[in-house]
Amino acid sequence: MSNPDGPMQKHHFLLRRLHSLTGILPIGVFLIMHLTTNSTIAWGGLNGRAHGDGWLDRAIATFQHEVSFINETPLLLLIEITLWASIAFHSILGVIYAVSGNMNNGSYKYGGNTRYMLQRVTGYVGILFIFYHIATLRWGWTWLVPGGVKWSHENAASTLAAALQGSTEQFTEWGLVVAIFYFVGVTMLVFHFANGLWTAAITWGFTISRSAQKRWGYACAALGAGLMVMAWASVVGFATLDYDQAREVEEAMKSGHEPVPQMTDDHTETATAEHSNIDG
Amino acid sequence: MSDEKRVIVVGGGLAGLAASVRIAEAGVPVDLFSMVPVKRSHSVCAQGGINACNEVARQQGYSEYQHFDETLIGGDFLNDQHPVLEMANWAPKIIDLLDRMGVPFNRTHEGFRDLRLFGGSLFKRTHFSGATTGQQLLYALDEQTRRFAAEGKINKMEFWEFLWPITEGEGADKRCVGIVAQDMRTMQIRSFRADAVVMATGGCGLVFGKSTNSIICTGGAASRCYQAGAWYGNPEMIQVHPTAIPGADKCRLMSESARGEGGRVWVPAKKGDTRKPKDIPENERYYILEERYPKYGNLVPRDIATREIFDVCVNEGMGVNGTNQVYLDLTHRDPEYLTEKLGGIMDIYEKFVGDDPRYTPMRIFPAVHYSMGGLWTTYTPGKYQPESPVGEHKPGNPIPVGNEPGLGLTIGAHNNAMTNISGLYAFGEVNFAYHGATRLGANALLSCIFDGLCNGVSVVNYVRDGVPAPASELSQSVYDRAAQIEQDKQDKLLASVGSGKGDHSLNPYVIANELGEEMNAASTVVKTGPRLEKCLAKLDELSERYSRCELGDGAMWTNQSLSFARSVGDMIILAEAIAKAGLLREESRGSHYRTDFPERDDEKFWKASVAKYNESTGKSDIEFMPVKAGLVKLRPRNYGKVDSGTNKEKIPPKQVAEANA
Amino acid sequence: MSDAEAHAYDADMRRANRRKAVDGRSVIFKIKRCDGPGKPSRWESFKVPVEEGANVISSLKWIAANPVTTEGSKTTPVVWDSGCLEEVCGACTMVINGRVRQSCSCLIDEYAPLEGDVITLEPMSKFPVIRDLWVDRDRLFSALTRVKAWVPIDGTYNMGAGPKESPEHQQMRYALSECMSCGCCLEACPQYTKVEDEEKWDTSFVGAHAISQARLFNEHGTGKQLKGERYDALSGPGGVSDCGNAQNCVKVCPKGIPLTESIGAVGRGTTIHAIKQFFQGKK
Repeated sequence: MSNPDGPMQKHHFLLRRLHSLTGILPIGVFLIMHLTTNSTIAWGGLNGRAHGDGWLDRAIATFQHEVSFINETPLLLLIEITLWASIAFHSILGVIYAVSGNMNNGSYKYGGNTRYMLQRVTGYVGILFIFYHIATLRWGWTWLVPGGVKWSHENAASTLAAALQGSTEQFTEWGLVVAIFYFVGVTMLVFHFANGLWTAAITWGFTISRSAQKRWGYACAALGAGLMVMAWASVVGFATLDYDQAREVEEAMKSGHEPVPQMTDDHTETATAEHSNIDG
Repeated sequence: MSDEKRVIVVGGGLAGLAASVRIAEAGVPVDLFSMVPVKRSHSVCAQGGINACNEVARQQGYSEYQHFDETLIGGDFLNDQHPVLEMANWAPKIIDLLDRMGVPFNRTHEGFRDLRLFGGSLFKRTHFSGATTGQQLLYALDEQTRRFAAEGKINKMEFWEFLWPITEGEGADKRCVGIVAQDMRTMQIRSFRADAVVMATGGCGLVFGKSTNSIICTGGAASRCYQAGAWYGNPEMIQVHPTAIPGADKCRLMSESARGEGGRVWVPAKKGDTRKPKDIPENERYYILEERYPKYGNLVPRDIATREIFDVCVNEGMGVNGTNQVYLDLTHRDPEYLTEKLGGIMDIYEKFVGDDPRYTPMRIFPAVHYSMGGLWTTYTPGKYQPESPVGEHKPGNPIPVGNEPGLGLTIGAHNNAMTNISGLYAFGEVNFAYHGATRLGANALLSCIFDGLCNGVSVVNYVRDGVPAPASELSQSVYDRAAQIEQDKQDKLLASVGSGKGDHSLNPYVIANELGEEMNAASTVVKTGPRLEKCLAKLDELSERYSRCELGDGAMWTNQSLSFARSVGDMIILAEAIAKAGLLREESRGSHYRTDFPERDDEKFWKASVAKYNESTGKSDIEFMPVKAGLVKLRPRNYGKVDSGTNKEKIPPKQVAEANA
Repeated sequence: MSDAEAHAYDADMRRANRRKAVDGRSVIFKIKRCDGPGKPSRWESFKVPVEEGANVISSLKWIAANPVTTEGSKTTPVVWDSGCLEEVCGACTMVINGRVRQSCSCLIDEYAPLEGDVITLEPMSKFPVIRDLWVDRDRLFSALTRVKAWVPIDGTYNMGAGPKESPEHQQMRYALSECMSCGCCLEACPQYTKVEDEEKWDTSFVGAHAISQARLFNEHGTGKQLKGERYDALSGPGGVSDCGNAQNCVKVCPKGIPLTESIGAVGRGTTIHAIKQFFQGKK
């Protein structure tokens, strides 16, 4: 950053604003959608049209339905790549910006300063988490963790449960590590998003007065709390989901009650790719 | 060094900055020397406001002329009259200028500049910006200075200490051609050329130890000019501000605006009443100033308020809980109103004392505040030359003279605000001309800016037409010699490190403390001949000890002890002039109150005391020179006091209260 | 806790400590000292008797007159920067017990009410040390030049009054104008880091104080003529967008200046400025 004519300096303002913008659009908006989809494991039982008799069965079916629906989205790979690029951009600049500061929370124990520190810590951990999440579930790099289970969009709920639990049979020790990592990861990302939304309003100049900042703070906190509940529900839901039960519902859907998306082999790759994003 | 003619301004307070901006604007480059970043100059401490005739007051019968008249009676006629007239006439225009510079003056609902009442006047003529007016004015000028500095027209030399004026020639031809200064960080001593030097170095409060002044207000720079042959006028005229918060390191000013906004000074009428102030009913309170001066009430000039508070505490022992403190009470005003108008000083009181003055009366006592005296200066009178001096001006009476520039002073005359050394000017507090024996509240900011703006033009003209040869053409040896002398003095001080085997009484800080205590006791509110003689003897002793003083730090990097020790010597020399002039002025006038000579003696002492440094004795020779008057006739000054001097025992409220108790 | 409540709470705590203060006690000053740039720093302790109303300044003055450490070795008087001693000049700012503030308004009764209590003094960490507690804050002032913190008047000659202004607007400007350039907001700011190389000052974070001053002058009838130039400066590297919104600045500001509001306002200004420039094709 020291070269005064370098691109970082020349387009300083634009980059800063893009950094802020990408956090909200597309990343933040995607996060909301993603958590909404995933948390169907908790609230999908409400869906009366879903396959299955029990609450949980309907939830599994709703989730599978959603996943399949997304899989059919046209130009999915393009959307995915945009998203990945945005995340990469936001992450790289974020790290550059974050290391330009020096935290001083020991001396100045104010709420705002704590959030400043958390925004950076959650950013760092968030990058690791998103990488792990995409790599294992989307790219199938299951070797990243011992006993990793491949996720499949065709058996969305069951394979996801297995991935979080470490195996299709039981909750393994590595499964516990993964589940906890997921819990921590989603918690941090939700915080990062809600707090980022609050600071973005100051950065862009939407909130100026102290009371406006405070009111917007409550709004962001409410949104964050909502997303947090969805995130936790998703992680807890899948981490406790019985593999066999989920598999049963999924197979039943395939065998007729529910229309199963028709796909050629060519499309399968694309569809799977897209799912990994959505699921984690 | 380029051949361009240059001006050096020493001091970055209001006067120095106004001068720098004005001179730079005229196209003459300025080197601005300051011991602190100019934004931290002592002018920031001024709180109450700045006086000027204004449209509201004008339509009530007030005028620039009356402002002038008030300043003279306030100063007990020791002021030079012509510069005061010019200053009063410039005042409204100065306010306009500050307004344009962006000073956030308080506003009325319609958006005009708001006004408040201040001491020595029955008209609202004080413009203000909260209770930190000095800070706001200084910042406005600091910003303009920064702008000129960015354009390369002003060269700021911050953290440089003025050590000595460089002169060439002798007698009447003696002129100032530069200065010697020291970088307070690297300790480098070097000389600087200039065609004129403006001293804007403020007052000398630290001579009195604890005062309301900043830690830099030693008077060292003025003292060095005085030792170099500049005359020092009215050194004994030191203003003691009636309302300050006593503290361990300094006394913090509690602005006169507190009284201007309705603050009332009182003590419990019953001696030794230990009840809390709020538990003491109205009729058992003794409102000192209101009862003694019904016309002006709490807004009598400062010297009078100070003496009455001093009298009540020290002579009558009626201070709060037997201490030397009285109440300054604002609790009857709306807290929100106080925050808006006086927030700055309310916060200071709360921070340093712990009580909220919106709900608890403040406890205050007088403290040394301002030096009316300073380097002696001269001027060329303007067009207004009445055949005989005019008597007291009353509101509504015809005004003897208009308000256009050039009536009091001849604008641009080379010698305006010039000391007895050609090319050496004195602006602001260090100029003795304006305030006589007492300064009226809110006139200080005015005189500082006025000096800079009006007399800055004189400096420009002098530099352009008045110097026999540009400083850039003078021999370097003059400058080298001057720097060497300062170097030698410093080496001598440094050689003392470790010499006295730890004799505590030779520590410069200890000597300075004793100096402050002595001067405070002998030469402030109440003076007597014998006490001043004792003080002079004590100064001799301190001077002798100082000559053997031992520094605690021999470092050649950022050595504050050295800088301080040097100024202690200069303070002792200045203190001697203050005490001696006080001893020789055998009368009472304004702030100078001698119990052995309680009346004003115009026959003998309607004169400025002028101290000239005698190099062979190391002491002052005091001469009394006629005050430059001729515009306004002398008249008594009593501000309508009800019990004048002799029958003090008859103060009725106190006896009534005692009878009630 | 709201800001106002927190302030009231702090004030209560300070008053409570003040009441607890023991007369005639001595307290320990632990001072971080350094003889000059590039020299190592060291800690020295001094036992200082507490007089009535004592503050850090009066204690440092006492040490100057009695420069002997608790170990009994003679040392040099401590070097520190100070001026008005009533918290309007900003000079005596230092880090006291780990937090930045003015030392003049730091009363010993509040910080060390009991015998033997310790107060630590350190120089501000974001500026180069000159000696002991005295730091070089030139960068702070250069930031004011960077944002053109002045009203561009034609000259100092008499040209009549300035613009009229409502009392509400005046109060708003006055609050911003109380900034005494002390540097507390910079010391506490995690985004403001020490930069010794003068050439990098104009591309390093400008700091809350200068952002707020830019807003002050943008709010003046004549001052706003330079708005565009100020926003240009504040859109560049080290401008307002470098702010990390930790908001420590507003908490430590001794004058309670609404610095975060200024950051928001300048954030809005630079956003609009950039959009305008994009569509109007300026620059």
